[in-house]
Amino acid sequence: MTRLLDRLTRPLIDENPVTLQILGICSALAVTTTLATALTMSLALTVVICLSATLISLIRNHIPQSVRLIIQITIISALVIVMDGLLRAFAYEMSQRLSVFVGLIVTNCLVMGRAEAFAMRHPPGASFADALGNGLGYSLILIVVGTLREGLGLGTILAVPLAPMLGLEGFTPIALMQRAPAAFFILGLLIWALRAWRPTQVETPEFRVTGHEEDA
Amino acid sequence: MITLRHPWQITLVLIGALIPPLAVTLTERGAAGLKLLAAALAVSLIWDLIFTRARWQQPSWHSLPAALIVTVMTLPTLSLWQLALALSFGLVIGEQVFGGRGFGFLNAAAVTLAFLVFAFPGTALQEASPALGYATLPGLALLLAAGLVFWRVVVALALGLLVGLAMNAGTPPGVGLVLPAIFAVTFLVADPVASAATQAGRWLYGFAAGLLAALFTPLGMAEALVFAALLAGLAAPLIDDIVIRAQVGRRSARG
Repeated sequence: MTRLLDRLTRPLIDENPVTLQILGICSALAVTTTLATALTMSLALTVVICLSATLISLIRNHIPQSVRLIIQITIISALVIVMDGLLRAFAYEMSQRLSVFVGLIVTNCLVMGRAEAFAMRHPPGASFADALGNGLGYSLILIVVGTLREGLGLGTILAVPLAPMLGLEGFTPIALMQRAPAAFFILGLLIWALRAWRPTQVETPEFRVTGHEEDA
Repeated sequence: MITLRHPWQITLVLIGALIPPLAVTLTERGAAGLKLLAAALAVSLIWDLIFTRARWQQPSWHSLPAALIVTVMTLPTLSLWQLALALSFGLVIGEQVFGGRGFGFLNAAAVTLAFLVFAFPGTALQEASPALGYATLPGLALLLAAGLVFWRVVVALALGLLVGLAMNAGTPPGVGLVLPAIFAVTFLVADPVASAATQAGRWLYGFAAGLLAALFTPLGMAEALVFAALLAGLAAPLIDDIVIRAQVGRRSARG
């Protein structure tokens, strides 16, 4: 039980797929202009990754090594198509705002990565816990970035204006936050903050500049 | 030529070069200018102290010139939190994340000003007056003598600007158009951190920056030079790499 819980909680901060493994960056940049799109995308990805990891883990002993990637992609894309269809049926406007990015979950490194690296070698229960943890870790980052970008860029959270609530009448929205570079900056600062807090996440540098000042 | 031995001397020379343009700006603006200046200095000092403490270094004061440049180039109507936010962004993302001044490849003031333009559309930059242009000339001479501005960059930039403006308008531009450009050219584009490090590269860098600035002039001269400085600064490491590869190739061909 503790191992399952561990699989669920480790990807939240310590092994976060976005900030540590730098996976799923493309969608993290694209759908975080508002919190609503970020939440929808998080939900879609978490459902897809959980189901795909469980399904792949169930049939892992019957998948031939040579065609395993094809089978994984087939399962993932089938789930994504269902997810996309559901969104179009029940939340058409939101699916228009997310445009191609729900469809692009197929190629999301995070989903493929967990299927290939974990679900292929572990039983369904562990695979589900691992997938859910990774899905939630991804969601956590998307929600943080989405909140910051919507709050600072539009002055709203989930389309509710913030300025009257906080009493900040002089606030001008920072238009830059609605552009793609802002997501890079926020993500970069987030990774910086996380690695300052948890130094074990810092990668070893490929080379070092040595000078007489550094030796001292 | 003036020889500089310590990092703080560089800061001192830069501040010295900035005093006449700053005096002109403050007399044009009065009290509103002083408030912005004080805020900019406070923000830059705070970041400088935080990062030098974190790196176990002596305080470097390198952020002060950037604060002065930003004060001269922004409108006095800017609110203080906007200035503080933009300056923090420029100093941290443009300079301190790389390890401080000299380790990065962009000018912190240029990053700050570009951030302002993107973050708050409609807040224009201060268009320089001819008086500011004249007041920059002694600073330019001082920086040239101290080796903190490379004459190749300045000459190539002037050439690029003249060629670009002549292409735009069909006639060579008058002195009225070039004079307001001098401040931004001296302190943003010709910054040795942002410009190319090889001799041939400096010609290329300056010319490219001048040409870009000329193409951007419909935005206004100040904005044009900020973006020219940013784009040329991004290209500078590539320019250096091309120049070095070409030289290595020529040497190995010689045998």
